[in-house]
Amino acid sequence: MGKKRERLEVIKDILESVRASRNIKPTRLLYASNLSPQMFKEYVNELITKGFIKLEVDNNDKKNFLITKKGNDFLQEYKVIENFIENFGL
Amino acid sequence: MDFYAFIIENKEILKILYGLIISIICFFIVLRTDRMFRLSLHQGIRYFRNAFFFYGLGFLARYIFGTPLLTSYFNSNYFLVTKIFLEFFLTMAGFFLLYSLVWKKFEISGENYFSSLLNPPILIFYLLAIMIISLDNLWGGYFFMFSSQIIIFLFASAISIVNYTKNGSRHKFLKFYFLAMILSLIAWILNSLAALLTEWDQIILINISGINIILFLLFLFGVIYVTRVK
Repeated sequence: MGKKRERLEVIKDILESVRASRNIKPTRLLYASNLSPQMFKEYVNELITKGFIKLEVDNNDKKNFLITKKGNDFLQEYKVIENFIENFGL
Repeated sequence: MDFYAFIIENKEILKILYGLIISIICFFIVLRTDRMFRLSLHQGIRYFRNAFFFYGLGFLARYIFGTPLLTSYFNSNYFLVTKIFLEFFLTMAGFFLLYSLVWKKFEISGENYFSSLLNPPILIFYLLAIMIISLDNLWGGYFFMFSSQIIIFLFASAISIVNYTKNGSRHKFLKFYFLAMILSLIAWILNSLAALLTEWDQIILINISGINIILFLLFLFGVIYVTRVK
């Protein structure tokens, strides 16, 4: 069994999936995130609240997630933050 | 002129300079880590940032607001107030630094307190800090603050050597972090000896200031080195 992913790593994985697809349906993102539906909902709500992703509903009532500028900034800084956490033992 | 004699002769102005240097280093570390915390909401970064926030305030309280150049203008209560603030800020900084290393054992991952200065685990630190200050003021001196800081840095040194032996080959700064913890421990032990055995021997105090500058520069170097964009 693989090592449990850290919270920050889960967020990075979700954001990378959204960025890779440019816009992605909730069901596809759930599969890509490899999380339980309950955990997925919690993470997605958190990411929306923080302004990392946004949910758009089109004319046909179809929902899609899009990455925001803040989400892109986070991905760019993720490596730096991860490096900092590991080097300072936080 | 002898190096130590020069420092002792100009100690008041050098103390202000010393306080300013360390406060500026802390300010820079707080700014850099605050940006990382706001992006990641990582609690360890948050507590590490708070530690340097309190160190910055502590050194400002002691060496800028507590300088005899200022305290001589006010009555003795002013000096007492700066002493209380110094103790409070340094004690809280030590607690935050240690807690930044162990927070995962006490908080559920993903749990985000609205405030890192007012949440249940931190309230315990405030309570302990107030107790330490009260006891020191009751007894007169710094015995309880020194003892608490020595215990804190003993634990922090033990944790950081475990981190270093586990991950030191992959993360180069862990060995400097361990070194910084050992230097902090030495500085607090020397401080206690200077206060309890030598009635604040000036030469020991100068050496402690030197150690403090080295360890804060070490943290500054770490923050710049580790967070540089490649």
